[in-house]
Parts: sequence; C-alpha cells; structure tokens
Amino acid sequence: MNKKWFVLTPLAVFILLCAFLLKGLFSDPRELQSGRVNQALPAFDLPDLMEPQKRWTNADMAGQTYLINVWGTWCPTCLAELGYLTELRERGVTIVGLYYEQGYDPDFGDRFDLAALQQEVRDMLARAGDPYQFNMLDLDRQFILDLGVSGAPETFLVNGEGKVLVHHTGDVNERVWRAKFAPLLGE
Amino acid sequence: MRFVFVLLALVFAVSAAAVEEKYDFANDEQAALFAELTKELRCPKCQNQNIADSDAVVAKDLREKVEQLVKEGQSKDQVIDYMIDRYGYFVHYQPPVTPATILLWILPGLIVVGGFAFIILRQKKAAQKASWSETDEQQLQKLITRYKRKESA
Repeated sequence: MNKKWFVLTPLAVFILLCAFLLKGLFSDPRELQSGRVNQALPAFDLPDLMEPQKRWTNADMAGQTYLINVWGTWCPTCLAELGYLTELRERGVTIVGLYYEQGYDPDFGDRFDLAALQQEVRDMLARAGDPYQFNMLDLDRQFILDLGVSGAPETFLVNGEGKVLVHHTGDVNERVWRAKFAPLLGE
Repeated sequence: MRFVFVLLALVFAVSAAAVEEKYDFANDEQAALFAELTKELRCPKCQNQNIADSDAVVAKDLREKVEQLVKEGQSKDQVIDYMIDRYGYFVHYQPPVTPATILLWILPGLIVVGGFAFIILRQKKAAQKASWSETDEQQLQKLITRYKRKESA
C-alpha cells in the first residue's frame, strides 16, 4: 500500500508541474498589478490638447462615471482600438483622452510642435473615429506617472466619486469590455 | 594574463564613469542612493529589466522621478513607497511578505525540514526491519569457521 503511493509520487509531481507551467503559458505578463485601483484618481490640472488655454481638473469631471484613455498617434494599438471606443461613445460612454507624448524630451533639446501634433491627431481621429469628449495633453507625463501608466494604450474607469475602478493595460475590445468594465457599470 | 586584467579594469572604469557623468548630486550618499534605487526598481514596460538598464520611456520617466525625489532628500523607503503607490508591488524587485507571498519564504524551509524528516523516518524503519534470526546466526557461524580454516591453512 505504502509502496504504491510512493510510486505514484513522481507522477503527481509531474502533473502539478504541468498544471503550473500550462497556467504560466497562457497568463498575460502585461497584466500588471496597479497601485491605483480602488483609490482616488490623482489630482490633475492639464491643458486641452486642441485649445491649450482651456484647462481641465478633477472638478470638471466630478459626479460623472467616465473612461480615461491614454493614447498617442505613435501607438498602433491605440489606432486599432479607436473604432471600438467610438462605438462605446455612441452607446453613451463618456471617454476622456489623455494624450501620451513620448517623443518630446527637453533634455535633448527637442522642440515641441503643438500645431503639428494637433493636425496629426485631427487626421487620425477623422480617419479612425473620434471617441473622445476632449483630450488632455500631459506633456511632462506627471499625471501619467501618477496613474501608474507604463505605456499606451491604457484605460481607466473612474466613478462619480472620483475613484478608479479599473486599470486596463492594452486595447479595449468587446471581450475586455464585457469582462472588466461592463459588470462594474451594471450593464 | 596581465593584459586581461588591464582590459577588465578599463571596462569597469568606463562603466563607472558612465554612471557619474549624467547626474550631479549634492553628495555621494545621494548618488549612491540613486544608483541603488534604479537597480532595485523594476521597469513596468520592459519586464525583467530594472529602470537603470531600460531605455523605455516609462523607465526614463521613473529615473528622472527618482533623481528628483532623491535630490529633495527623500529616503529610500519614501521613494519606493512613491513608486509602489503608482505602479503596485510589481515595480519593486523585493516582494513584500503578504499572505499571498508568504509561501515563498516558508516553502524552502518546509522542503528542507520535510527532507530530513523523511530520511530519519526511513532509517528508523530500516533499523526496525533488520531482525536477526536463528538461521542468520548459523550462517554467520559457518562463514566464520570457514574463513578461520583458510587462514590457518
């Protein structure tokens, strides 16, 4: 009896190892832990991308449930998700764009050309769909850092009390929306 | 051989100079703290690299933030907490002891203790099993007498 159990041990270890490795094979390493979920949205005070004299702060969005979508024209996945986000907007979801400018670096003497960027954004949104109520420009990426953003696209769901409910890394599509966002919106 | 040593010395001298050229800290402690922190903080984008090694935009931003916080005189723990607040425990290469990670600390100990327990138990069992019977005794006596005869012969 004892010996039989002993013989089966390697098989048991092997099966456990297989289960562990198989799980690792299908897990998404980009699925990061976020420091901001279930906490208040960090304070921001950012200019509008299209009308730089206008500034947006937390107070402007108080009482609304909305998405913050971090994106850039340099990012192919952002382009790919614009269509779906536009669909969401048509379904009544409020989406705020947070523009991630990554090329600009004052340390290397880069000059930032706002007019060119605005034109590029306009062209891209006209071509692929415009899901945004408005876009904010975070040139020094401080708000982006405060949000714990590691790249683009990333999407946050913020509720009426200004609490971050979801931090999603990667594109938003129907599957992601149903799994991560819709349950929290009571859809 | 000496050539290799000289070459090695040169290689390390270059990397030491490269670290120092870009940042100007008020004192050596701050420079050391910055070097320590950028080695310990993990790049959230290009995984398995620390922020000192990585060229990702986010790693550069984090380096600059660490530089700024260190220059403000913040302690190591303050800087790490600042990053964990934003990027989660993922961003630090030293995982904290939490109910979910306690296994990492306990498991190696358990395996060692379990291994020793297994060996001792098995030895005890083996010792119990070896009972000395009458026939064994007779066989032993036979062998002894046989070899004794050989010796005397």
